[in-house]
Amino acid sequence: MRADDVISCHVLVIGSGGAGARAAIEAQKYGDTVLISKSVVGKGGCTPMAEGGYNAVLRAGDSCVLHEEDTLRGGAYLNDPDLVQVLVRESPERFRELLEWGALFDISSDNFPAQRSFGGQRFPRTCYAGDRSGHEMMLTLLEHLRNSDVKILQEMAVLELLKEGDAVIGTVAMDARSGEMTVIRADCTVLATGGGTRMYDISTNSATGTGDGYALGYRAGATLIDMEMVQFHPTGAVYPYDVRGRLVTEAVRGEGGILLNAEDERFMARYDPQRMELSTRDVVARAIATEVEEGRGTSRKGVYLDVTHLPAKKIEERLPVMLEQFLKFGVDIRCEPMEVAPTAHHIMGGLQINPEGKTSLSGLCACGEVAGGVHGANRLGGNALAETQVFGKRAGESAGRAPSRQGRIDPLQLEAVENRVERFFSGTTPPWVVSRQLQKAMWENAGIFRTQIGLRDALKVTESLLDVPVCAVSSQNITECFTVRNMCLSASLVARSALLRPESRGAHVRSDVKQTWDAATSPYGHTWVSLASQGIMRQEVAG
Amino acid sequence: MRITARIYRFDPACDSEPHYDTCTVDVEEGARVLHLLHAAHERDPTLSYRYCCGTGQCGSCALRVDGTPVLACMEEARDGITIEPLNLPIKKDLVIDMQPALSRLAGILSQSEQRPPTREEVEAIKPLRECIECLACVSVCPAMEVAEFTGPTAMRQQMRLTLDPRDHADRITEAIRDGLFTCTTCQNCWKVCPKNIQIPGKAIEKLRALANRKGLTLPRHREVEQLIQETGRSIPRGKSTFLEQVPEVIEPDGEPRKTVGFFVGCMYDFRLPESALDAIEVLRRNGIRVIIPHEQVCCGSPLIRTGQLQFLDHLQRRNIQAFTSRGIDTVVTMCAGCGSTLKNDYRTPFVVKDITEILTELGIEKPARLPLRVAYHDPCHALRGQGLREPARILLKDVVEMIEVPQKCCGAGGGTRSGCPEVSSALGKKRAEELAKTGADVIVSCCPFCEYHIAGFADRPVKNITTILRQAYRRKDLGACPEQ
Ligand SMILES: Cc1cc2nc3c(=O)[nH]c(=O)nc-3n(C[C@H](O)[C@H](O)[C@H](O)COP(=O)(O)OP(=O)(O)OC[C@H]3O[C@@H](n4cnc5c(N)ncnc54)[C@H](O)[C@@H]3O)c2cc1C
Ligand code: SF4
Ligand code: SF4
Ligand code: FES
Repeated sequence: MRADDVISCHVLVIGSGGAGARAAIEAQKYGDTVLISKSVVGKGGCTPMAEGGYNAVLRAGDSCVLHEEDTLRGGAYLNDPDLVQVLVRESPERFRELLEWGALFDISSDNFPAQRSFGGQRFPRTCYAGDRSGHEMMLTLLEHLRNSDVKILQEMAVLELLKEGDAVIGTVAMDARSGEMTVIRADCTVLATGGGTRMYDISTNSATGTGDGYALGYRAGATLIDMEMVQFHPTGAVYPYDVRGRLVTEAVRGEGGILLNAEDERFMARYDPQRMELSTRDVVARAIATEVEEGRGTSRKGVYLDVTHLPAKKIEERLPVMLEQFLKFGVDIRCEPMEVAPTAHHIMGGLQINPEGKTSLSGLCACGEVAGGVHGANRLGGNALAETQVFGKRAGESAGRAPSRQGRIDPLQLEAVENRVERFFSGTTPPWVVSRQLQKAMWENAGIFRTQIGLRDALKVTESLLDVPVCAVSSQNITECFTVRNMCLSASLVARSALLRPESRGAHVRSDVKQTWDAATSPYGHTWVSLASQGIMRQEVAG
Repeated sequence: MRITARIYRFDPACDSEPHYDTCTVDVEEGARVLHLLHAAHERDPTLSYRYCCGTGQCGSCALRVDGTPVLACMEEARDGITIEPLNLPIKKDLVIDMQPALSRLAGILSQSEQRPPTREEVEAIKPLRECIECLACVSVCPAMEVAEFTGPTAMRQQMRLTLDPRDHADRITEAIRDGLFTCTTCQNCWKVCPKNIQIPGKAIEKLRALANRKGLTLPRHREVEQLIQETGRSIPRGKSTFLEQVPEVIEPDGEPRKTVGFFVGCMYDFRLPESALDAIEVLRRNGIRVIIPHEQVCCGSPLIRTGQLQFLDHLQRRNIQAFTSRGIDTVVTMCAGCGSTLKNDYRTPFVVKDITEILTELGIEKPARLPLRVAYHDPCHALRGQGLREPARILLKDVVEMIEVPQKCCGAGGGTRSGCPEVSSALGKKRAEELAKTGADVIVSCCPFCEYHIAGFADRPVKNITTILRQAYRRKDLGACPEQ
């Protein structure tokens, strides 16, 4: 491959989930835009899998201040307040825009978008399309994208960001099957690669949830914050084994589902008697994990989630995807309870961004799950879809407004990538062997309950796995090799950051630390990691 | 759990032909086909397959298991299965090229001056919106093989946009340009759809009805409507009709085991009365008392399939009245199209059964065996329209040597034969050739449209199933073949 074998564009967007699609739609207003995606466009990532909904303040009685407070409280006050403000203010606008573009969210009897209750929120503000809300959003964006001039490259994985000095000037990507490489030069690049909880043994994420973006950003020199903040969703399926972790949407509890342990006790009464099943995700996840650990779980190490008291019609209308999925696996949720246990769901941390979606690197914006700061230490259900639209648009706009730059591709950087490819062909360990070891280690030692000893172990494993010579048999295995390396690197960032935070906060629970403060009075701010440094910010403690 | 599967392999870059790998792997209990493929891929990392969500939500993973399109991530892995790609252009192994089909899905053209959809409108669009663009439907559509047709899910999308007040393009004209009238309403698409989207009924026939309101119904279809209005039948009459040849009540041999009403349909009444007479004879011989109201008319299928609904109510009322006024509780059809229409598009106060159904349910006198090899053609409107696969086989297996032929639409249905004769003929020709390839002496079916259409292209006789049965009884009566 020669370095002059390049596609050139004004804005390059990496990732075709909700954030990437929205960013591309915005960026193309300013110049040639290329959207590149590891999956078929619209099929990858977690957006099409999102079930519960989209948070937006729409009704009288609700307010942005309320949404902001809920988000901050849910996030254990670790959120970046500026980002939260932008999120709650612009989310309704972006939602209305989706409606203008053809979205079909459920409508209530007053011909107004229907909204349901979600955990940790004092107002029912989660807009939904049955339990296929993310799919609805994705289809809407696709319908819009199909009429646009965005150039789409699909089933191509970005291997590395390319740099000129401190600035990102494009990427080198590879066709996932043929192994052919393409260089893309861009005035500005938007990273929208989504999350990465596939690094855990039990996860809700799609096959692309491998944390590529964190690794790409980190290697390019960007600063990442709060990478220890991994949300464990309380309700993942436990059967069949191969589908373990598959999300059982929070909407099930929103619609009135109750949690019971094997002794038929509605145990949430002991953990959060006020909010019960609709407590925040971290609380419910820990409650379930504790029940199971203390021997009150089912034989498959879960608890029961029951909707059999709801009318069958309501289940059919509001939870069709759940009904269909469980039926396929032999459970009719209209007359039997589901069995659930916590599952790694969302990474709150990520590339540090400002409200314009700019990262610490010139020429690189980030939006969606790959970015950090919006959700703090714990994300509220329904805030991530909103985030993809609010910050997708902002990042797309910033990138669009970026000045054009010469951007000379550095042959040495390309050579480095080519050398990595070559080495995979002489590797010895198949990628799935590595990923399995990684997933087990992360689940055991960087999971719901953490200790310093465990985290050190996790870090050791992730770092040693980074050095394992993974092997490719044919060209189509090369991206698999890159992916597993990215998983290991992202996982090491999670472990490192977790070691940096000597407190329990939101989703991050250090069971070996006794603390005298609560979230609101914590002396700590963000953790950060980058090629250059790492640490945890200290903050003035209010009163 | 140990499982063996045959997996289709083909790399267009280096293979001249596809081949199958047999592989045995260990999977967990409850594993899906996708997990079987993961295990196979670990054994042979060159195997290509596509997936992403793993939960039936993204539509990346559709492929065929034992010939039927399924989502790999939802279909349970079973021992002995054969895994093949969808019947679409192949990139490698199980990975098909999705782009040509996906790029034909229309985007929305919303304008700033628009009204948001009401709750009712949203509810109406929803069933069409659940599409995950997996292309299972596209891979089985017969019309796409022979016509310039963008296919089922593209039509679904056009209907979805039509129902949306925010969209401002003329979707009807587009749909017609894109082949709306080439669909044979074979029902293949929705029977394989993992989201159960009823494209023929909920999109294609609806678009045709909207086309009708815009005066865009094909002239040949309009002629059919006129004929029905004038004569109660959708085709011109032949020399002597079935109804002219039979009395209203036909008493069976001996004590009646059951009394049924008989709905003959346009084709058997006007064009193929001999087959209907054979059917009556078989019913009579098996102790079934048959009442044939003479005022019955066309079931309306040709109107529904082509979107001409103005006159439909009248037909439906008249037909229902014809049977209820005689106190009939079971109506027997022998035309798969009529049967499917009476069962799915009518609300009848009586039970409707295809003749093969009633005969197998009541059991028949054993006929003689005929020295014939028979290729059986499953009519779309029997197999999928009514879920009838076994009855015809049960009836035939003791009488003739049955040759199984993979089901395929013959191209006669959906108004295609009159509206798009080139498409219909191309399919008919293909089907006749496939059936002939079996070397069968006779082609047998249970739908007059299929029988008549295939006969136009076949080099051997095409017969109705009851004709075969009657022939077998005759042979028995002659004593030519002793009972086995
Ligand atoms: C099962 C599930 C249910 C959820 N439900 C909700 C909900 O109800 N409400 C809510 O607010 N949030 C929900 N979330 C969270 C939310 O869906 C995600 O946070 C959000 O969709 C992320 O969007 P994104 O655009 O950032 O990334 P994604 O949608 O994950 O998209 C990432 C994209 O990047 C591409 N990509 C990745 N790596 C590369 C690479 N190396 N090269 C090229 N392309 C690459 C992928 O192909 C994909 O197109 C849910 C998450 C899951 C997993
Ligand atoms: S009914 Fe048959 S011909 Fe019509 S779109 Fe569906 S598969 Fe194609
Ligand atoms: S209509 Fe059904 S079969 Fe066709 S692409 Fe959509 S989901 Fe798949
Ligand atoms: S992998 Fe997404 S539908 Fe099967």
